[in-house]
Amino acid sequence: MAGVSIPVNSSISRRWRSLHAREARLAWALILPTAIIVFGLIVFPALFSIWISFRDVGLNNLNNVFRAPFVGWNNYLEVFSDFAFKFQGLQSWGAAVTSIVYSFSGTSITVVVGLIAALLLNRPFRARGLARAVFLFPYVAPIVSVAFVWRWILDPRPSGVLNDLLMRSGMIELPKAFLATRGLALLLVILIDVWRYFPFAMLMLLARLQAIDPTLYEAADVDGAGSLTKFRFVTLPELRYVLGAVFLLRLMWTFNKFDDIFLLTGGGFGTKVLPILTYEFSFRLFDFGRGAATAMILLVLLLVFMIVYVRVVMRNVEE
Amino acid sequence: MPEPSITQVSPRRDRTDLIGHLAGWISWPRFLSALLFTFFLTSILFPFYWMVSSSFKTRAEIGGRAPVYVPSGLRLEAYQELFDPKSPVGRFGKNILNSLRVAIPTSAIAVVLSTLGAYAVARLRFRGKDVLLNGILLVYLFPGVLLIIPLFAMLAQIGARLGFDVQDNLPVLIVTYLATTLPVALYMLANYFRTIPSEIEQAALIDGCSRMGVIWRITLPLAIPALVSVAIYTFMIAWNEFLYALVFLNSRDLFTMPIKINAIFNDPTPRPNVVMAASTIMTIPVVILFLALERFLEQGLTAGGVKG
Repeated sequence: MAGVSIPVNSSISRRWRSLHAREARLAWALILPTAIIVFGLIVFPALFSIWISFRDVGLNNLNNVFRAPFVGWNNYLEVFSDFAFKFQGLQSWGAAVTSIVYSFSGTSITVVVGLIAALLLNRPFRARGLARAVFLFPYVAPIVSVAFVWRWILDPRPSGVLNDLLMRSGMIELPKAFLATRGLALLLVILIDVWRYFPFAMLMLLARLQAIDPTLYEAADVDGAGSLTKFRFVTLPELRYVLGAVFLLRLMWTFNKFDDIFLLTGGGFGTKVLPILTYEFSFRLFDFGRGAATAMILLVLLLVFMIVYVRVVMRNVEE
Repeated sequence: MPEPSITQVSPRRDRTDLIGHLAGWISWPRFLSALLFTFFLTSILFPFYWMVSSSFKTRAEIGGRAPVYVPSGLRLEAYQELFDPKSPVGRFGKNILNSLRVAIPTSAIAVVLSTLGAYAVARLRFRGKDVLLNGILLVYLFPGVLLIIPLFAMLAQIGARLGFDVQDNLPVLIVTYLATTLPVALYMLANYFRTIPSEIEQAALIDGCSRMGVIWRITLPLAIPALVSVAIYTFMIAWNEFLYALVFLNSRDLFTMPIKINAIFNDPTPRPNVVMAASTIMTIPVVILFLALERFLEQGLTAGGVKG
């Protein structure tokens, strides 16, 4: 960087500049290891996957990936025409539509349930600290254990807990294969996701709730507002920004989520979302080009949602 | 301070009997919140109860026609099978060790590197800081499955040159976990460092202490709560991670716990009690760590918007 002329006679300024430069050098030295790892293993691979999505990469040329033949938009066309991807009526949604339904409904319910939990825990009561810790359990427990416990609870045999309870109460006659029934499987996967991730929304909302100025409620009391009115006109406006941020974060993560569905249903019975499809193309069929193309479609959809969201929702919030 | 609660009940002094007292105490909002609370607690705790109790059931109890709600005793049959060297699903000790061999180095290296980086971000001025920070934040956006293909191809390429295998290589896993946890760790720590008054550090600098001396003698001791929560957070991520381990590990001897549990579950012979025993072993340390350090961790979770 050239350009800025320094007054030669001012030794103080030169000294300051050199201190400044030393500080910057130190800063780069301190942050360099982190930057190398993050950029080398996240940012570069992300860009590299664009390149792969236009190539024919299989197991045979994985060790020589830079020589992989260029195939143009072929991988993308293959994905778009794949039966697992495209929408073919209400019986078979395809991965793109399933992904959208799964992440939007899952995220909305998660945020609402998180809000209810946050409101419950916002009032002081005995053992509140403990209750709050317990409410966080689903979020801190390992996903593998959680998923297999739910599979065991939803076991299709009569010895599954849910089957037993429903059959005893006479709601169903025969045991049901909950996670192997189209429609029901997707619904249950969404509900289990709500169960697992509402604590995150709760924590963020609770932190904001406790920071609301109590005089706002006092003023509302003076005006004779009921509790619903107070919630509508004091609590919700104060929470709007956090609600928006939590929704966006959770939407992104749910859209990208692989483990939960893979462990719960393996992507079968109408729960095949884009991350699962990406995995199947890459590590079952070993067609890495097609896998990368699916991942790029996923990323583009995600970006579109984010831009729409930031434009529409966040702008309304600011007003 | 008047309580800004939605359940303010006016005391009814005209009724003194017990039922009257209860009727005065119970109001619809109170009743509703008690009901909701019970619902939340049961739906949260039941799966955990089911996991632990199923792990103590015998094969007969687990395979019966109806579920056994309370096991007949603390039978360790499932745990014995899990550690039995002759059982096809046994030798779980090895898997615990593998998980530790991945999680402990990840956590230790992440704490050291993110401390250095976070100090630079919080205290030093340098060109390109914003670009760097935004670039690092992009990690929030990228799905794990998007990264795994190029990562795999890239590491296979480098591995072929340098002579290491990408698959069945625990250090490769450690490096990928570092890449996914460092950004959040950096954010959590930088936020914490900003809350430490910089005057103390400046005083030490004037007294002739070097920058590294300042970090070591002043910033770090003051930041211990944040360091602990970063260590626990990265440990938990590495301990729980599934996708990368699934793709990068093939040899049963190197399986980390999540992959091993998946393998036990997918074994042709169903052994729900063994799966639950392994899940219990994997869950308990995490929950205990979390309960012991809940205060610190909650701050970290909200400050960094921890990815999950």
